[in-house]
Amino acid sequence: VTTNRQLISIIVLACALAAAAAGESAKPVLDFYANEAKTSDPGFSGFSAERGEHLFRTNFSTGKPDTPSCTTCHTTDARKAGQTRAGKDIEPMAASANPKRYSDQAKTEKWFGRNCNNVLGRDCSAVEKGDFITFMLSQ
Amino acid sequence: MGKCAAATDVTRAWDLGVRLFHWLLVAAVAIALVTGLSGPRNLLNIHVAAGAAIGGLVGFRILWGLMGSTYARFSSFPVHFTAINADLAGLVAGRRPRYRGHNPLGSLMVLALLAVISLSVMTGVITLGGVDKQGPLAFVVTYVSGKAAQRLHLALAYGLLALIAGHLLGVAYEAVQARTTLPLAMITGNKAASAADHAARPAKAKPLLAALCILILTAGAAHQIVALAARPALGVPTGPLDPIYAQECGSCHIAYPPSLAPGLRWIAIMDGLSNHFGEDASLEPALASRIRAYLTMNAAEKWDTRAAHELQDSNPQDPLRLTATPFWTRMHRGIPESVFKSRAVRATGACEKCHSDASTGRFDPQDIHIPERAFQ
Repeated sequence: VTTNRQLISIIVLACALAAAAAGESAKPVLDFYANEAKTSDPGFSGFSAERGEHLFRTNFSTGKPDTPSCTTCHTTDARKAGQTRAGKDIEPMAASANPKRYSDQAKTEKWFGRNCNNVLGRDCSAVEKGDFITFMLSQ
Repeated sequence: MGKCAAATDVTRAWDLGVRLFHWLLVAAVAIALVTGLSGPRNLLNIHVAAGAAIGGLVGFRILWGLMGSTYARFSSFPVHFTAINADLAGLVAGRRPRYRGHNPLGSLMVLALLAVISLSVMTGVITLGGVDKQGPLAFVVTYVSGKAAQRLHLALAYGLLALIAGHLLGVAYEAVQARTTLPLAMITGNKAASAADHAARPAKAKPLLAALCILILTAGAAHQIVALAARPALGVPTGPLDPIYAQECGSCHIAYPPSLAPGLRWIAIMDGLSNHFGEDASLEPALASRIRAYLTMNAAEKWDTRAAHELQDSNPQDPLRLTATPFWTRMHRGIPESVFKSRAVRATGACEKCHSDASTGRFDPQDIHIPERAFQ
């Protein structure tokens, strides 16, 4: 007989495994940004989920007028689907809700390239990109 | 009855075929007029079904006019010059000659109604083929011809309304002037008559022959219509979108079919990807040039759909935006702003939320389904 407690343990374990798997598939991309960060700043000491969250939630309003922040389209809950301005669903940003995230470097770069310009009005640094992904892996 | 008109008897004027035809036609024409003139566009199927029924009914009536009973036959219609003249003179004098079947002016009305209704069906089929790219003529009628037929179709509808008004006026006149309740006669088939009334040479109905003709003609027509309708429609894009285009340009909005904009507009859009309707949508140069080639080679000029024709006209204030074009604005007039802003639709450019065939570029009226949630 499976008790509720056992069921909960199984779910927690499954989630942890999923998160670990998600983290695993994002590792090459994260390593790439870490390398880049080290190259430009020898004192680089690792990414921060906290800084990533700040980046995700800040209303910059320095980019294009229709997209003042990441949350404009991605919503404030990274585990939920977002919606583009043209009405298309955006899969969740959090790796726990969408394990494919951050596994494809070209795709990751393409969207950082577009959306940093949209929201901040400039390119993001390797540290910012790494922070952002680290935050999303923690969600 | 016998007291005031001693010579009155009852004549069998309208046989079952005529009566059934008349009332079924009334119903079908009413449906066609309502759905055509005022109904929402996604009722096209009902309009077309009513039109098909009308076509069949008129076909039957023509046949029955050749092999029905006495007063069903066209040969019984007193439409020669002297009879019409006498009827008109009688109308002026207030005492028209009496007929057991249709009187001359009534006969003319019947023939005019049949002619206008037949033409309506024909122009309707041409419109359906050219404008909507549906039905038996979709393979051959161009959009421009379809559009011309549509104008004629509309004019005929108004003409038909005028004829119906005249027809009802005639019936009312008969009721007042000749004390004949024609609507009742069209239900029972019997009409009061006197021995002095003009009578036609009696003719026997040939229902078996008529049934045989109907069977053969219906089978033949149905076969032809199905075969013609199965042909590929003229100038309608087929096959899937280019996969690279669909993937790259379908992330934020549906991958709009290339047929929805002329080549020059696509070039301008591809030239402005760094500020694409308010967002950076930059692409790698190699990808961009591939997509540009695909779009320009499949642009609106190449197709004959309604959207491909009508969306070429742009809005000078916002020349690249599909939803700013005069045609788009006209077609979506009357849909509340809140529908487009709702969570279920979100944006005017989210065609696919209401047009289930948006990715094909057809935009059939029957495929419009505004989500319920958009109205909440």
